[in-house]
Amino acid sequence: MSILDKVKALVHHEAPAPALELHDIQATILFDRPDPYFGTHVLLRFDSAAGGRALLARLAPHVRSAADAADNAEAWIAVALSHAGLRALDLDAALLDSFPAAFRDGMAQRAERLQDYGPNAPETWEAPYGSGQLHLAVSIFAPDETSWRAAMVTAHEQFAGIAGVTVLGSHDFGAQPDSRNSFGYRDNIGNPAVEGGTAPTWPGQGRPVKAGEFILGYPGEAGVPLAQPGPVQDSIGRNGTYVVLRKYHTDVAAFNRFLREHGGDAHGQELLAAKLVGRWRSGAPLALAPERDDPELGADRQRNNDFTYSKDQEGLRVPHGCHMRRMNPRDSKLAILTDVNLHRLIRRSTTFGPPYRPDLFEDDGAERGLFFIGLSAKAPETMEFMQQEWINHGNFIDLADERDPIVGQQPDGATFTLPERPVRRRIHGIQSFCTLRGGEYLFMPGLRALRRLAGNQA
Amino acid sequence: MQEHKTTDLAEIRRKVEEVLGDAPQLLKLALENVLREHDAHADAEPGSAGRIGRQSGKVSELTAIAPLKPGGADRLRRIFKLVNGNFVGAQKVATLHDMRFVFFENDTKILFATTYDGDWDTYIDDFATKIPDLMDLLFSSVEGWPGITDPGVKDFIASHQLTADGWYVANPHLSVVDARRLQRMNDALQEFLDKVSGHVDS
Repeated sequence: MSILDKVKALVHHEAPAPALELHDIQATILFDRPDPYFGTHVLLRFDSAAGGRALLARLAPHVRSAADAADNAEAWIAVALSHAGLRALDLDAALLDSFPAAFRDGMAQRAERLQDYGPNAPETWEAPYGSGQLHLAVSIFAPDETSWRAAMVTAHEQFAGIAGVTVLGSHDFGAQPDSRNSFGYRDNIGNPAVEGGTAPTWPGQGRPVKAGEFILGYPGEAGVPLAQPGPVQDSIGRNGTYVVLRKYHTDVAAFNRFLREHGGDAHGQELLAAKLVGRWRSGAPLALAPERDDPELGADRQRNNDFTYSKDQEGLRVPHGCHMRRMNPRDSKLAILTDVNLHRLIRRSTTFGPPYRPDLFEDDGAERGLFFIGLSAKAPETMEFMQQEWINHGNFIDLADERDPIVGQQPDGATFTLPERPVRRRIHGIQSFCTLRGGEYLFMPGLRALRRLAGNQA
Repeated sequence: MQEHKTTDLAEIRRKVEEVLGDAPQLLKLALENVLREHDAHADAEPGSAGRIGRQSGKVSELTAIAPLKPGGADRLRRIFKLVNGNFVGAQKVATLHDMRFVFFENDTKILFATTYDGDWDTYIDDFATKIPDLMDLLFSSVEGWPGITDPGVKDFIASHQLTADGWYVANPHLSVVDARRLQRMNDALQEFLDKVSGHVDS
């Protein structure tokens, strides 16, 4: 802290950041999913308020807190509710109205803000997404198959025999071997560090972000807590957060064809793949391995995220428009005044389907994809910002209308720019490689709030 | 072709009657002439700037009217005079095309109008953390201003905003960032052309 900052803090009577109430915070907010991982998302509907409360009461003792996650080697359960789910619990109308507009509306209603048009429009989504039926999402994360099966038994025991609750569907996930996503990349590497968190931190995470950006009830980056639902004293939001869940189908054949058409020889294709993402498939960042892949670097958490863009402001190593640099520009000089730490999400994404196949050039009909899971104290608003500004636009990096090459919806004639000397190279004919199959905005309550919801004492 | 035009003219006259049936003949003729040259869908689809306000292409408008605290207009005038309209923070923002401040009703009210790129909600949080002093300097003379870090500040701004009924944008597909890039490229292009023409006056 500079002298000026100290004086400012004294003048403004800034208190030191309060300690996080780890016993009350769900483990998923602060701890990575296991690696490797197995798991299931179960989607449920409350047919009656009593049924919903009874289920929450049964689940609550099994939801792991951040206090007992540090040394945990077993499966854990996380739960989150939609606004429709909170309404189905017959909560007080004023309390229901005090949640932020985006969460109240639900993801399908916010399609315009999210730019979920055409193939991504809610009309095309799989059931039960966007129907208002999805009230509760229960996620089981496990480091091995045995504890996953055991946790699934526990979860199903809680669902079974409760009147007034319907299981709408469940979706297994996990990626073996090596936790690669369906395009073959090691993912979930660059998560933000949370101030006051107890999970291990890794070199390159940057300055820890104020806890209030991710957990309700603590000061955020602007020095004050973000808006919370309910009365500030005794808020139902305290120690909770919001979740953005988006299920993507990935078109691996189209991705492979694009690399084959534009990448040249085998090395050129892998380099192009790395330029689109910002990392080689092993996880090695282009910033540290600009010429060729370095699998040892990719697997090393002490090194694979330890870089900045201060010496690559031209984007010669890592293109400005690549997926990773767009989603976390770090110290890139941006064309628009932006506080990067305000637009971070904690990601707990999960991959599903058969492993990546480099030889796939025609659709084999397999369902491959990714549940994007982003958490923060304003996750819906952050997702809407990202979709509008960082994913489906290029203004912030002076790339006009150019879009994110991995998750952007590409119009006809879309391009991807590779900064090179003496002049940039523009690749024409980039297509959409991910299609949205559904999604929801959810609220992940603190454990005390979860018990209050179960007892209808909200 | 001739027939098509006549049909168009009949349609225009029908619309003029519908919209201005109660107006003097001179006004009706004027509107008729305007509509004969008008293409409603030229260049930019009109849309919404998000929570409130209009958007044309990439460009959005914000007009707010608010009561001032006593002495507020005088304070703001002194600030504007001091910086001579050069708001460095606003230049850094790089989504603001222009801003204007107008005092009226004996300095008791202010009209703030700006043209900016993108969505209403998108960057206000950034300004709160990146240029909080400029934001508070400009708006703390407004009655009820909660402070830029207040969680309710967006609702406060929206509550004073009026969506424009009529609005024209010359270059709806050029953001501030685009325009600056085109300016740089033109400078470089002119320099290049000077050099290849071999007639550089040094």
